[in-house]
Amino acid sequence: MALPTKVEPSILHQLAKGVAENGETKWKDLREKSLEELNTTAFPHKKIEEWRFTDLRPITRTDFVNLDEAGTLPATNIEQYFIPESDRSRLVFINGKFHEKYSSIGGLGKGVTVGNLSDHSEDETVQEYLNQLVNYEKDLFVPFNGLMFEDGAYIHLENGAKAEAPIQVLNIYTDAKEPYVTTPRMLVVAEEESDVTIVEDHIGLSENRYMTIPVSEVKVKKGAHIHHVRIQRDSRDAIHVARPIAYVEKNSEYHAYTITLGGKLTRNEPRVIQEDEEVDFTVDGLVLIDGDQVADTHSVMDHRFSHAESHQLHKVVVNGNAHSIFNGKIFVRRDAQKIDSFQENRNLLLSLDGLVNAKPQLEIFADDVLCSHGATVGQLDPEEVFYLQSRGMTEEKAKEVLTYAFALETIENVKVESVHKLLIDEVYRYTKANNVEKVSA
Amino acid sequence: MLELKNLHVEVEEDGTEILKGVNLTINKGEIHAIMGPNGSGKSTLAKAVSGHPEYEVTEGDILFNGESILEMDPDERAHAGVFLAFQYPVEVPGVTNTTLLRESYNTIAASRGREELDPLEFDDYIREKLDLVEMKPDFLERSVNTGFSGGEKKRNEIFQMAVLEPTLALLDETDSGLDIDALKVVANGINKLHGDDDAVVLITHYQRLLNYIVPDFVHVMIGGKIVKSGDKDLALTLEDQGYDWLEAHATVNGEAK
Repeated sequence: MALPTKVEPSILHQLAKGVAENGETKWKDLREKSLEELNTTAFPHKKIEEWRFTDLRPITRTDFVNLDEAGTLPATNIEQYFIPESDRSRLVFINGKFHEKYSSIGGLGKGVTVGNLSDHSEDETVQEYLNQLVNYEKDLFVPFNGLMFEDGAYIHLENGAKAEAPIQVLNIYTDAKEPYVTTPRMLVVAEEESDVTIVEDHIGLSENRYMTIPVSEVKVKKGAHIHHVRIQRDSRDAIHVARPIAYVEKNSEYHAYTITLGGKLTRNEPRVIQEDEEVDFTVDGLVLIDGDQVADTHSVMDHRFSHAESHQLHKVVVNGNAHSIFNGKIFVRRDAQKIDSFQENRNLLLSLDGLVNAKPQLEIFADDVLCSHGATVGQLDPEEVFYLQSRGMTEEKAKEVLTYAFALETIENVKVESVHKLLIDEVYRYTKANNVEKVSA
Repeated sequence: MLELKNLHVEVEEDGTEILKGVNLTINKGEIHAIMGPNGSGKSTLAKAVSGHPEYEVTEGDILFNGESILEMDPDERAHAGVFLAFQYPVEVPGVTNTTLLRESYNTIAASRGREELDPLEFDDYIREKLDLVEMKPDFLERSVNTGFSGGEKKRNEIFQMAVLEPTLALLDETDSGLDIDALKVVANGINKLHGDDDAVVLITHYQRLLNYIVPDFVHVMIGGKIVKSGDKDLALTLEDQGYDWLEAHATVNGEAK
């Protein structure tokens, strides 16, 4: 089934070759289609506008191998990452492979199906939506995922079904002898008037290099609500290239909160596409990076119909030599009137060597819309530091408190209590760890 | 308690000299008012004493309880008992009043060898202080100064002063932006907090505040120097005659300008 390669082969193309020749799969059609796409899509480079600021050398200069050749070590002690609310609503994937032993799916009530995608390959909903929702132009990573994945998270809610507990989708990455690539996949279909909270967690157990390419497709049908928390706690040497896309139908709500903490190189491309009127969606983000981390968010909020409310608060704290990139595209199509869209990108630069590229990008073709946007890059305000110092706090403590306060706003709306607390702890840990470096006021 | 000796201060960024040799002695139990036109250096004086990094002492000294505090950071000065009520209190979104004050109170307590209070004890302690400035308890859980009206911010400064119990309180235009009722509340609070062991410095443009807080001494600052000191009647004279006669005086002597 291999097609002749029409583009210069990259490490992803090389890895794909071996898989393509191995016929064992439940996703034969999807694989064929993905391979075709892969073979005609080039690996991105800096000359392409969308990749201008992102250094891809951590990918191109690593000799990645396929998972089964990587000599992966077993996952130990992962229970510590289970959230108590999802005691009976948890899916666990280790290096992309479903683990029934750690998973628990009994506690969601009527009308909610949760499980491994490959166990549901014949389901009508899976047949109808899987890979039909992804929409990333000239993208190599989506077809790569399509070719490689076998297992994945599947969440389906019938009409009117309310998940009784948040669903935790836990992606664990283990240590290995060689750097490997893994491709988590998720499909969420919330039928009319249904309601679910999803906590998607990516955790690296060690400090090894690996690359994860998660693709998730979310369909929010009429009147349905989804609250989606995504936490990226990868290895500090990992590469994380994510494509989460959501489609929102009439009267639906989709609220996503992405927290980026780990990874050497993160490229996150959340997209929300409006499919009808009267929707409300959120694509908030919090990025806390230091050392030589690079975190890149390229988002799209596509307003295609009238009467939408959308919200994007993207907050970033950069220390050390870290580099943050933000490109937030907001489209308002010609007939999409009465849109109320808020976008703000605030960057706090704690070091002199940190780097921030911020690019809000509004393309508005309707005339009766309210779009506010802003991007700021700043250091801690010396006047605020002095104020807290004059109240007895040391300079370090004052900076810690202010950094913490800056970051906290984005996670206020995370409504799963233990996750909210966990994120507060993560923010605290970051601010505490990053207080060594003095900022010249 | 506080002695300023020939204090010269300049703005670090551009080297503009603002204080040009201030001499001032403040003793325990006293209330001093420092008055003067805009730009005369009143606020700079308060900031220099509390250690604002933007202001650099180029000559002279600041003695607090007999020892120079020039080398001390602002937090160390706060620990020693210095408190500055800001002219423009800073908003700190995300940090509640309680969080800030408990942190401050306990840091100061630890440095003075007093016992720290746990959250419950601290809660009891600050609730008492709320009455002093007639504020509601929900005020405690709001982010510091965030979205506060001008008057609320000023009251919050005095509330913080009540909680932290400084020995030297520098109140920088605490009266500005207050209506007459709020002014009375704030003045009342300050009077109650003031005792034989602490000193208060009121920096103000107007005599109005001094109707409610009676100073032992009034100083007039012009051009970075104290050009005249007197008792509370001096403030009345200023109210009546303005600063012109003093400015002329200062110029004639060739000192201040």
